[in-house]
Amino acid sequence: MMFLINPNKFNKAADFLIKPILVLSIILFSLGLLFSFYLSPEDYQQGSTVRIMYVHVPSAWLALLTYAIMTLYSIAALAFRIPFGFIINTAVAPIGGIFTLICIISGSFWGKPMWGTWWVWDARLTSVAILFIIYLVIIFMNLSFENRVVREKVVAIFVLVGSINLPIVKFSVDWWNTLHQPATISKLSKPNIDPSMMIPLIIMTFAFAMIGLVIAILRIKTEIISRKSNLG
Amino acid sequence: MKFLNKIVSFYYREYKLNLSGLQDILTNIIFFFISIFIFIFSIGPDRETISLIGVGILWTLLLLSSTLSLRKFYQDDFENGNLLITHLNGFSFGFIAILKTFSHFLFVQIPFLLSIPIACILLNIVNDKLIYLFISFSIGSLILSCLGSISSSMNLMNQRNFLLGSVIVMIFSIPVIIFSVGIINMEENFNSLINILFGILLIVFAINPWASGLCLKLSLENN
Repeated sequence: MMFLINPNKFNKAADFLIKPILVLSIILFSLGLLFSFYLSPEDYQQGSTVRIMYVHVPSAWLALLTYAIMTLYSIAALAFRIPFGFIINTAVAPIGGIFTLICIISGSFWGKPMWGTWWVWDARLTSVAILFIIYLVIIFMNLSFENRVVREKVVAIFVLVGSINLPIVKFSVDWWNTLHQPATISKLSKPNIDPSMMIPLIIMTFAFAMIGLVIAILRIKTEIISRKSNLG
Repeated sequence: MKFLNKIVSFYYREYKLNLSGLQDILTNIIFFFISIFIFIFSIGPDRETISLIGVGILWTLLLLSSTLSLRKFYQDDFENGNLLITHLNGFSFGFIAILKTFSHFLFVQIPFLLSIPIACILLNIVNDKLIYLFISFSIGSLILSCLGSISSSMNLMNQRNFLLGSVIVMIFSIPVIIFSVGIINMEENFNSLINILFGILLIVFAINPWASGLCLKLSLENN
């Protein structure tokens, strides 16, 4: 597992892994699209708009997962002096930001026919919007510092301070009385979703994760190269 | 005793500096009042509406005008080398952050606190609410000072994009705004909300020396 914290080993593992992951992501994504558009039933109330869920839920999960990964790597980088964490922080932040943006936009496309409005000031929606702003600030911080050593540590500290928002996003539907529905799929109980809708959801989640992983591997490799040649 | 003397002389220096730069603090307060006027011009002079949203306006403006003075928080001391000299005198960076936070609270936020009664008259807020407003303001402005310390120490080496510091303060001040405006509008559960606000203050106060101290050390090492 050393390739998770060592840039050289990561490079070797990435060269080995990227083609299978790319092929897997293409297969999974086309399979997921097929399932979510043709092989899954319409909802008896929502009609065809339920298909937005197959984009909305995976991107929301992955936005949270990306931030959690960044938090773990920031702790590793600051506490155990593993510089690979800074590389991850720089490379992965835009991917998480894009996932959050996809989540917000698809959610508001669903909200217009179902709730009657593009946006409500609901706890879940607001905290996800704040997550998006935090991602934007991380990206801008990466762009606006001259000195690389200062920049990467300051970004790591900001990621740690901003991780307060993660439990707020996760538990906002339980703590407050929100319009957004609480979690349907949880680890502790049987999921409240029919298998015919759960299968496309799971496939789309893995497809999104694989696509994100391909982009992340490419970005991390670019970052390693630019650090080796002292460009960034 | 020697340590106490050092702290007293630190605050004496801050007092002298702020006294000579009194026009900066006064400009901040003028900004605060002008913004109230602008708000009232844009909303309209209806007394009912103004008293309904007055507390929210006051909090927003306090936040905006305290972010205006963030640039001076560490920047001057950092550039003329005073931060390093204070550190060489036996203060750790975290302790410097705590001292500077209290200094910011004393010399920048207290003038706002003093000008709140006048703003309340302008915004038609009834006198009964003034005491709640005062308590929530004094806790909330200490939280804002801590957040300002974190964000301005993060941005010491950032020469290009200083507005980022204000954005950072605004992101983390959202819970403060939510709970402190709630205090005014829901007087029956005043105690629970003030406890939550106090809890936020303790969390931020614990994070502040760690984060600001680390950022100060980084900036001084790499300058």
